[in-house]
Parts: sequence; C-alpha cells; structure tokens
Amino acid sequence: MSRKRLLGSIAALSLLAIGVAACGGTKTVTKTVTVNGNAAAGGGSTGKTVSIIASVPPTDHGWLGAISKDAKAAAAQHPDVKFELLQAADSDSQAQQIEQAIAKKPDALVVLPQDGAALTPVAQKAERAGIPVINIDRLFTAPDAATATVLGDNYQIGVLAANYIADQLKCTGNVVEIQGLAGISVTTDRSKGFADTLKKKCPGGGIKIVAQQPGDFNPDKGLTVMENILQAQKKIDAVYTHDDDMAQGVVQAIRNANRADEMFLTGVGGSSDAMKQIKEGGLYRATFLYNPNMAGTAVNMARLIALGQGFGELVPPEVPRQVVVPAAVVTKANVDKYEKYAFN
Amino acid sequence: MTTPAQTSEPGRGAAFAGRVKALELQEYALAIVVVLLFVVGAILKPDTFPTVDNVRNMLTQASVVGVLAIGMTFVIATAGIDLSVGSIVAAAGVFGGILVGDNGTSTLLFIAGAVGFALLLGTVNATAIAYGRVVPFIATLAMFSIARGLALLLNDQLPVSLLDLNGGSFGNPRVFSLLWFGNGRVFGIPASVYVFIAIAIAGWIVLNRTRYGRYVVAVGGNREAARIAGVPVRRIIFSVYVLSGLLAGVATVLLCARLGSASPVSGNLYELDAIGAVVIGGTSLAGGRATIVGTFLGVLTFALIFSLMTQLNLSTEVQQVTKGLIVLGAVLLQRPEARY
Repeated sequence: MSRKRLLGSIAALSLLAIGVAACGGTKTVTKTVTVNGNAAAGGGSTGKTVSIIASVPPTDHGWLGAISKDAKAAAAQHPDVKFELLQAADSDSQAQQIEQAIAKKPDALVVLPQDGAALTPVAQKAERAGIPVINIDRLFTAPDAATATVLGDNYQIGVLAANYIADQLKCTGNVVEIQGLAGISVTTDRSKGFADTLKKKCPGGGIKIVAQQPGDFNPDKGLTVMENILQAQKKIDAVYTHDDDMAQGVVQAIRNANRADEMFLTGVGGSSDAMKQIKEGGLYRATFLYNPNMAGTAVNMARLIALGQGFGELVPPEVPRQVVVPAAVVTKANVDKYEKYAFN
Repeated sequence: MTTPAQTSEPGRGAAFAGRVKALELQEYALAIVVVLLFVVGAILKPDTFPTVDNVRNMLTQASVVGVLAIGMTFVIATAGIDLSVGSIVAAAGVFGGILVGDNGTSTLLFIAGAVGFALLLGTVNATAIAYGRVVPFIATLAMFSIARGLALLLNDQLPVSLLDLNGGSFGNPRVFSLLWFGNGRVFGIPASVYVFIAIAIAGWIVLNRTRYGRYVVAVGGNREAARIAGVPVRRIIFSVYVLSGLLAGVATVLLCARLGSASPVSGNLYELDAIGAVVIGGTSLAGGRATIVGTFLGVLTFALIFSLMTQLNLSTEVQQVTKGLIVLGAVLLQRPEARY
C-alpha cells in the first residue's frame, strides 16, 4: 500500500473510531423521577446538583438571543444547577448536538427546536434514555417527546391582535399581514388566530386582509416586502406583523413612502425598540408580549423535575405538563408596566 | 458589449466573432425576458405595476443586490466565486454603526467604517485565494460564516439604529446624510439608483475598455495562457475579491440607508441572488466570458419577479416555484454555447 493510501486509511479508521465513541452506548436507562408526592414543593435546595443542558437554534434574531440570555440568567440563580447552553447552526446540527448531549447524561434537557417536527425523533430518544425533556415554544409533534412544554400562546396573539385592530378600525378597513417564517407552528397559529377572530368579530367582512406575505422574521425582508405591498395597495388602514424586530423594517418602509399617517402597525414580542416607539406614539401602536423569559421558566421547571420537586401551588405539588405563557396587549396606556420585560 | 478571452491565432477569428455574437443575442434574449415580465405585470396589475412610482421602487430594491452583482461579475469572470458578500453586508453595517456610536451623526464615519470593514474582509478573502491558494468556494464559504459571526458578535446580536443619521430631519433627510441614500431623490430618481447605475457604468468601462478588464477575463478564460502571456495572474485574482468586498461595503450603505438601521441578520442569501443575476445575464461560471449589461438585466429580472409576485400576493411556496421556473426559462433561452 502506498504511503498516501496508508495515511488515508488510518485517517478514515480513526474518524470511524471517534464516531463510534461519540455515539456512546445505546443501552436504555430507566430513571424514575419522582415528580409528585412527598418531595418538597417549590425551589427548596436539597444539596444535590443537577445538570441541565439547553439546546437552542442559531441566535440570528433578537428574541432567540434573549432566550439564551434568560435561560443562562435563570440557571445562574440556582447554585445547585450545572448549566450548559448549546447553540446550533441549523436543524440538522441541533439534532446532532442533542445526541451528544444525551451521551453526557444530564439530569434534564431543555430544547427550543429550530423545527419541532424534525427534532421530535431525537427528543423521543432522550425521553427513552430517561432524560426528561422540556420543550420551549416550537412544539414537537409527538406527545412522548417531552415531559413538559412551555410555550407562548400564538393563537391567542392572533386573537388579541384581531380584537385590537378591529376595535381601532371599528370593523372597516384594509389590513396587511406581514407574517414570520412560513411553515412553522408559530406563524400558522398567529395567522389563524387573527383570521378566525376577524371573522367572528366583524361578520360583515368589513375588514379585508388585502395582502399577506412572509417577512421571515427578518428586518430587511420586512422592508422590501412592505415596499412592494405599499406599491400595490393604495389604501392601508392597519398592518399586523408577526414580530417586533421584523416590524422595524416594515415601519421604515412605511415612513420612507411618507404614508405613516395613513395606517398604524402592531408587532409581536415585546422588544425594547417596539416599546419605545409605542410610548412615543404614532405609527407603532401596539405589540403583544411573547416573553423570551419563558426560557427561564423552562430552566426552572427542568430543575424542579430533575430534583423531583414540583410547583407548590398545585395540589399535590407537581410540575405541570404544559405551561402556556399568556400574551398581553401592550399599548401606550400600559407600556410602562411591561417595559421591564422588554428584550434587547 | 462583452469581452471573451482573446485568442491570438487568426484562424480562430471566426469562432471569436461567433462567440461575441452569441453573447449579444443572449443579452437580447434576457432583455426580452425583462420586457415580457414588465408587460405581464402591466396586464395583471395595470393600476399599480407599470407606474413611475413602482419602477422607482423596483430600481431602488435592485440597487443593493445590483451593486453586489457588479462585483460578482468580476469575480466569476476569473472563474471564481464569492459566497460571502451577504454576510459581509451585515458585518460591515454593524461595524459602521458601532463606529458612529449611540448618538453619533456622522454619515461620513459610517460610510468610511462600513466600506472600510467590507474592504478588509474582502482583502482577507483575496489573500486566502490568491496567495493562500485556497479554492474560492471554500475560502468565501468560510468568510460567509466568519462575517455572519462577526456581525452578531460586534453588537451582541443587536441591530444598531441609524435613524439619527438623517442630517436633521427624519422625513426629509439632508442631502448626503445616510438616510438620504435610501429615500433621497435627485430629479425624481432615488440616490441609490444613481449609485447603482454609476457603478454599473464604471464596471462596464473597466471590464470592456481597460487593460485590467481584459486581464480579468483572460485569467478566467485560460489561466495558464494568461500567465505565460505575462498577465499578473495572482494580482488580478487578488484584486477581484478586494473589489467584491469594496462593493459589498457600498451595498451595505444603500441597504442601511433604507432600513434606518444596521441589522446583523440582514444580507441573508444575497450572494445567491447576486450569483443568479450574473449567471442568467450570461457571464460564464467557468470564467473567460463576462457581461455587465447581462448582469444589469439579470438584476432587473429578479427585481421585477419579486415585485410582481408580492403585488399579486402569491403565497410563498408559489413564489419560490415561480421564481425558479423563470430563472430556468431565462437560462434556457440562452444559446447552447453560451450556457456554460
């Protein structure tokens, strides 16, 4: 064998060896986690350290960045938590990262999947290996993929937005909807909640959704899409956007076209930029809180599950299977109350 | 006009003329596609598509990717590729924004910072490719990742607001303030369109009327022959990536002006649009044949498609399929020799 081939084979074999080692054992570990019963309620420390690994998608968005920060901050509050945050580059690498995390055998896994459906199998794997999974925001598509879920109420956001806009417009007018990333549950729910509620609230069809385009949660996409919609629609009364960060681009497009007086805009999320503009008044009239602090909630819940404890308010103390974080309407009237929850 | 690689044998003259002619016919084909798209839009949306306002809008939108595409033409002419321009746009914008600071109002500082940083990143690409002998695809793919990371790192993943750089008035930005480059108009035509057209004309002159332009195409057409003929191949290759970086900086200024902020997630996949525009314009990915006019038409094609589909309120799936089909159609309209 020539030297090149020999080196090549050695390299290939060592890669193979590393791969096998990294995959870890495939033996199933049954771990009984006592969640209800005699365990102390609430956040009492039992002297035991729990290790929690969190997996989040690439933080290419303010909200996701806030999720990471809030998760770390929540973990830092508890001296008995050993916390590790893994940021993935995309859906596939997130699955691999979670596999590696499973091999480390943490006491709990907190996951915000880039794509809930794609990552359901690996979550199920973690659950079968005895590691409780706490799912944030983007839902897995199988009930056995997570022990507990923390999510915002996307459908409710659509409902609140529709009620707000319908009230402001008194059920007559043209509305433009700038959606988020097409195809994920978050977007579908926000659109559906909006459309369903408009039908109920304004049965005569007085409010028309004249344009509905995805902005991908990205400000410059929001900018260019809105520029085109402004060309196509001569009269717009309100703009319902799915995201505060993306809305900054939409707002700029409206201002650039000198049509800021013609319409008003609502966002989702609760970013500090949005709250500032709501406070000033004008084009940006409302946002709906979708608090990234749910990551902190998830970490706290993970800790309780790992320690075998539960929420003191529940009888008997347990960690609930699903926590839906309520959405709130933030307008000029109450923005002072919500400013401290703003992200960014 | 186009510049295929020169051949020195007189016998090849006929083939040479043939290739030039083929390229010109192809540019006409793309021009027909552009006109066709405009006509279809005018028929489907007669009140809002063929208006002066909308044409202004489409040209303005085209200017960001357009500037990138001019640089990309030079890069592809040398048989290279630059996958990093979109990420460089984001990183340069954030850098310029931080340089200006929270309460700064110096447009010049922003422009200098953004263009300078983009130039720096382009130079890193150039060094890796020309002197490090790294394959362009890999080197610029690495920069694609690095620049995106830098954009997120520099300001802790947050965007930088640039609304203060308006020279005093928000609705009517002072001439040459940053926001003026976004919505300011001279004789009814937006400033960014002037910048785009000026760069396109400059690019055409450099590619077709200077020795440097001929060297660029020669390097792409036949690198060994160019080297033997005395063309400074390494320096030429170095220069096109620096140019690409520089133009990415200009594109950043145009984008941030319209956006009113420097966003670390902007520029997403702009390189694909730039490459697409260059390729459907007729420039060969294998190098040796380049056309600025083709690139310009390619950029217009994408702008028309995007505007039309948004105005028609097509769902995103339909948009993606349609855009792909139109691009395929535009390429198929090109003559067989011209396709590679």
